[in-house]
Amino acid sequence: MSNLESDPARFTATLDDREDHAPGDEPQEAAGHWVLNANIGLGFSVVLTVAAFALVIWPIVYGPAVAVALVVLAIAQMGVHLVFFLHITTGPDNTNNVLALAFGILVVFLMVVGSIWIMDHLSHNMMPMDQTMQMQR
Amino acid sequence: MLGKLGLSAIPWSQPIPLITSLAVMLILLGVLVLITVKGWWPYLWREWITSVDHKRIGVMYCLLGVVMLIRGFADAIMMRSQQALAIGGPGYLPPEHYDQVFSAHGTIMILFGAMPLVLGLMNFVVPLQLGVRDVAFPTFNSVGFWLTASAALLVNVSLFVGEFARTGWLPYPPLSETAYSPGVGVDYYLWAVQISGIGTLITGINIVTTVLKMRCHGMSYLRMPVFCWTALASCLLIVATFPILTATLAMLTLDRYVGWHYFTNTAGGNPMMFVNLVWAWGHPEVYILVLPAFGVFSEIFPTFSGKPLFGYRSMVVATLFICIVSMTVWLHHFFTMGAGAAVNTFFGISSSIIAVGTGVKIYNWIFTMYGGRVRFEVPMLWSMGFIFTFIIGGLTGVLLAVPPADFLTHNSMFLVAHFHNVIIGAVVFAIFAALEYWFPKAFGFRLDGRWGTAAFWFAFVGFWVTFAPLYILGLAGMTRRLQHINFPEWAPWLYVSAAGVVILILGVISQVLELVLSIRRRDQLRDTTGDPWDGRSLEWSTPSPPPFFNFAVMPNVEGEEAYWGIKLRAIETQQLSPEPNYQPIEMPLDSPVGFYTAFFSFVFGFAMIWYIWWLAIVALVAAFAGFVVFAWRDEHEFEVSVDEVARADRARREAREAILARLARQEAAP
Repeated sequence: MSNLESDPARFTATLDDREDHAPGDEPQEAAGHWVLNANIGLGFSVVLTVAAFALVIWPIVYGPAVAVALVVLAIAQMGVHLVFFLHITTGPDNTNNVLALAFGILVVFLMVVGSIWIMDHLSHNMMPMDQTMQMQR
Repeated sequence: MLGKLGLSAIPWSQPIPLITSLAVMLILLGVLVLITVKGWWPYLWREWITSVDHKRIGVMYCLLGVVMLIRGFADAIMMRSQQALAIGGPGYLPPEHYDQVFSAHGTIMILFGAMPLVLGLMNFVVPLQLGVRDVAFPTFNSVGFWLTASAALLVNVSLFVGEFARTGWLPYPPLSETAYSPGVGVDYYLWAVQISGIGTLITGINIVTTVLKMRCHGMSYLRMPVFCWTALASCLLIVATFPILTATLAMLTLDRYVGWHYFTNTAGGNPMMFVNLVWAWGHPEVYILVLPAFGVFSEIFPTFSGKPLFGYRSMVVATLFICIVSMTVWLHHFFTMGAGAAVNTFFGISSSIIAVGTGVKIYNWIFTMYGGRVRFEVPMLWSMGFIFTFIIGGLTGVLLAVPPADFLTHNSMFLVAHFHNVIIGAVVFAIFAALEYWFPKAFGFRLDGRWGTAAFWFAFVGFWVTFAPLYILGLAGMTRRLQHINFPEWAPWLYVSAAGVVILILGVISQVLELVLSIRRRDQLRDTTGDPWDGRSLEWSTPSPPPFFNFAVMPNVEGEEAYWGIKLRAIETQQLSPEPNYQPIEMPLDSPVGFYTAFFSFVFGFAMIWYIWWLAIVALVAAFAGFVVFAWRDEHEFEVSVDEVARADRARREAREAILARLARQEAAP
């Protein structure tokens, strides 16, 4: 950190002249904009949260579709958090953050899908339990 | 008051751990007395224990790693000698002790030997190669190191107080559950690995941030030395996968401490989930170790061949390819555990494909040497020995990646030989190459190459004599982790393997001798130039050892091989670049918070192992208090005056001018 402060010229020249922000590294003058942004985000996320509870409490949608609707709302909630609170944008100053997000999603995807697939396959090559029991007799 | 802890925790009836730990304690006491008598404490406290300098932390990491490598090697000697002596008999290690020995050997070698050494090298080298003054979070770095060190201490304490796990280096349930491992052994494992895991994660975050955010002028991604690329890839894997380990071990801890059922056989638990999750970390972990090793070789081959690295960009692509694909292969550790053809085929193919990335690297290193002026210095010997050893290890790995073949060799000595072949052949060889290569940069004098050459040849020959017989034994059907052997037919190979260990011991002795003799002869071995190997990257542009601020002025990089370009220009024009306009430098203040937090983390771990709940709470609160006090500090930097910066840099320039003059004289003489 000390290095960044001691030599600001170097900091700007680092990434092929594209300034690169860390989350929370907002320029001072944009503070007002930041607050507005956060409030919009808060509004969205409250609406999405209330909607999720409402779907479960009252019969607004077709019963079997509730689970799918909840998944959609959860993903939307994640999007709101990423855009309004973590300030992930598609701008060139955000390349690292977008790459980190993509990497994180990839890792979680590999682990979750891989684990489900593997655990589902666990007894594929195994004799069914009742047969094993019979052999032991 | 003291939980499960009592006098019975000390292994009175087992002479081997008892005498060993008494001897270790005596040596430790001797060292402490020596430090006190000589009055070295203030120096150690100021310059090392509280230091946040990445170079000091790197050196301490390496020191920890070397000490733990020796500890792990002692376990290896016991295992090989036990198997040689226990053919048709009981040997000298009872089963419950032998089980602890192989569990401790694996845990220590991977997590407390190789990991600290690799992290230490990254810590020391990456900021210097990137041309910056420290890592992104210097105090955080110190916390990470001390957590790892306190976890290593915890593992060693288990030798004298209580016992270590008997479950293998990855404590598979249900064996590691309370029902089958009621003692404190698994708890020692759990808390030590958890604490060191947090330390590793901290260092991983630190290096990733450093590489992504803190490079000097002009050091774009594709001008970074390959070691920095591999450090980045390795730390990305740390950040991605160490949380899996932490979560998995936390679940096992809950099973053991509060009687939950994540991994039990009963009440809906599933032990296979542990195996799945732990290898989802465990396989990337292998690449966390080996990628920086590849980076080391990518520095050494160009330097000692006098040529740029062949295929720099393909090296970067191969590194990132391995980084991603290494997260899709973990099932190959349990092909035989029930999965059907679809799953086994997918993971078998992805395991084989990863060899493509490695193959690209091997060819690049060979082509780097081709047509170059190769100097057979010690680091180069290790590197060439690596190519030979690693190719064999890789080929047996591809064999194991074929599921039908794996059904024959799974959990056999063939597997043991294979993973030692790649880990010793790549990681350990790289570590010794790197220690020899960067030692002058760290301490200002070279290691005497004669004993280093001896150490290499002993290690190289010793490795093959030890592990080639294990391949044969594995194919003959010998399974791993046998406490005694009932087949006299296997005896000759086990004797050969034990003889190999004797050669390896000679290698270790040579390595230690090299260090001791070089320290004694340091005045003749002094590196006054800062560039003892005719290096190509920025760390060689600093004096040896570098000043604590690394660079008086930040370098400006104008191409690949940053320092090589600067050096060539200086030689061509017969002068250095004009003296810069020196500015004061801000550097982070030293802080004891890392040492403090780690001390209480150690106490916390120990208290949890022995069920001393009040002490655990006290230690946790104390560790957290250290963090709070640190977070509210007012001053965190100090200024280095222009005079000091100028003085350091003028001394460096003088040394460089002397080299230029010498080169000019050589040129003039026919």
